Amino acid sequence: MNRKKTKLKPTTLVTPPREVSPPRQQLFKDHRRLGFSNTVLVLVILFLFMPLFVVITYSFNASKGMRWTGFSLQWYYKLLFESRQLWKAFLNSFIIAITSSLVATFLGALAAVGIKWYRFKARSYIQIISFLPMILPEVIIGISMLIFFSAVKIPLGMFSIFVAHTTFNLPFVLLLVSARLDEFDFSIIEAARDLGATERQGLTKVIIPSIVPALLSSMLMAITMSLEDFVITFFVAGPGSTTLPLYVYSMIRYGVSPVVNALSLILVLAIMVMALTFRRFLKTIAASS
Amino acid sequence: MKKVSLLLTLLFLFLFSGCTKEEKVLHLYNWTYYTPENIIEQFEELYGIKVVIDYFASNEDMFAKLKGGAKGYDVVFPSQDYVEIMINEKMLLPLDKEKIPNLKYISPIVLEKATYDTDMSWSVPYYMGAAGIAVNRKKVASYSRDWSLFSDKRLDHRMSMLDDMREVIGDALAYLGYSVNSTDPKELEAALNLINKEWKPNLVKFDAEGFAKSFASGEFLAVQGYAEAIYEELDENRWDEVDFFLPKSGGPMYLDSMVIPKGANNIEAAHLFINFIHTPEIYAQFLDRFHFPASVNTEAGKYMKSTPFYRVEELEGYELKMNLGADLALYNSLWESIRYND
Repeated sequence: MNRKKTKLKPTTLVTPPREVSPPRQQLFKDHRRLGFSNTVLVLVILFLFMPLFVVITYSFNASKGMRWTGFSLQWYYKLLFESRQLWKAFLNSFIIAITSSLVATFLGALAAVGIKWYRFKARSYIQIISFLPMILPEVIIGISMLIFFSAVKIPLGMFSIFVAHTTFNLPFVLLLVSARLDEFDFSIIEAARDLGATERQGLTKVIIPSIVPALLSSMLMAITMSLEDFVITFFVAGPGSTTLPLYVYSMIRYGVSPVVNALSLILVLAIMVMALTFRRFLKTIAASS
Repeated sequence: MKKVSLLLTLLFLFLFSGCTKEEKVLHLYNWTYYTPENIIEQFEELYGIKVVIDYFASNEDMFAKLKGGAKGYDVVFPSQDYVEIMINEKMLLPLDKEKIPNLKYISPIVLEKATYDTDMSWSVPYYMGAAGIAVNRKKVASYSRDWSLFSDKRLDHRMSMLDDMREVIGDALAYLGYSVNSTDPKELEAALNLINKEWKPNLVKFDAEGFAKSFASGEFLAVQGYAEAIYEELDENRWDEVDFFLPKSGGPMYLDSMVIPKGANNIEAAHLFINFIHTPEIYAQFLDRFHFPASVNTEAGKYMKSTPFYRVEELEGYELKMNLGADLALYNSLWESIRYND
């Protein structure tokens, strides 16, 4: 369940941070060193990051076990040169994440624009139904996808995972983009149409440029969700489509090797770099508009 | 924009390319690490066939996947009870024994135990082994080399057993002199009493994932488990600190086999692969990787370069965990009363 909560965080990225800093906050700042809020902050950070810290530390361990025997880069060496299967799984995850998030962003954005802009009978029903994949337990989505794929004779594999991931990413994109569109003044479109823009030009020249931040953040979110998904992927995976979470899970019979620790550090670093550049990028967009 | 769309097309081509070209690919569905990568590479080189591997963590996972309609796996590695179930459910393709001349190396003792398929019409044994007990020799001076070790009060809360009902109940049944596949309520009752009154109070927990790490760190002094999982967590220079043995009173044993499921795309390559695995020189590399004894392919023992963690003879008196059919529910309820009642 906490999955949902963390997932919603990127919305904060959408609003430019500069406007929301009322000077009143300064007054309530606690200057004592060990005030209540500071203690809670430290504890929460410890609780959240200790496991990560342990994983990273042991990725530099010289021995296999949980006993520190000295510094070594052997797991990184093994990760880079002797883990063909792991990289194959990672590549599969990566391909699925990129393709499914692109398609989900495309479809979700169009759906959001349609729902906000046009008034039609089934509007509210479509809205409710498209949130189903977000509300339903993953197990149910997974099993129903599996049954669906075998009923319509779509072979399980990369394609079926792609379809499944696009499906569960859609509502999140829809949610983010429609939140952005709530602030959008549709009279601008009317003005554009008035000045001779076609319907398509209204979309590509007016709406899309103004929702780019929402598109980007929803795509990033879709990528992370797709990368980490286990339950749904487990059901719809087929021959030759083992993704990274499936691979790591299947390791438990012989114990998870420290190579996975090494991979975690690399992933954490890559994601941090991505998030930082993305933030800078968003700031420049906010500044230019 | 053009660059982006070009990249997109490429990605999608990549995504769908798997569905179109079928030539010379062998799909394995296996336990992680179970077939060493260098063996796979040798096979690819020798026959020019690309091997794609997917992994499962339990027989149940694998079975659910195949039953759910996954097609295209050429060789799958289920354990004995699931081989039997898959034969009964007609999920397998018959083997063409003429194409697998290396079947002559398979030990007749193993086939005798595989009562569901003694003549290898459907399945070829891959490896037969058993879970045993590992004791930290450095910290424990004297101990009984039998399942009664778990009643030892001196090791109170420094021991663990597997979170696997067939293994734990099976050990208790064997220790009491019954069959590990017993469905006699009286015998099961006796096993339940032994576990609940004698063993369980001394255990930290039932654990099938983290126990080897805890054993390696010295937290647990004696654990029931698979040798390869336990030694995997220890560096080689600490191996002599461990006493691993299979108790003489016997216990449950597993036999993983190679089968070709229905819906396989490359039946020819599947036969080639099964035959390749049982080439004694190749099979010895597999045994060396895990320090397994040559239980299935006896000829390969001659080519081994390592000392196995336990000897084939120790498996004597061990019994395959068979498919219990409807009686599995009996075990489930027993296991619940062991795991969740205090």
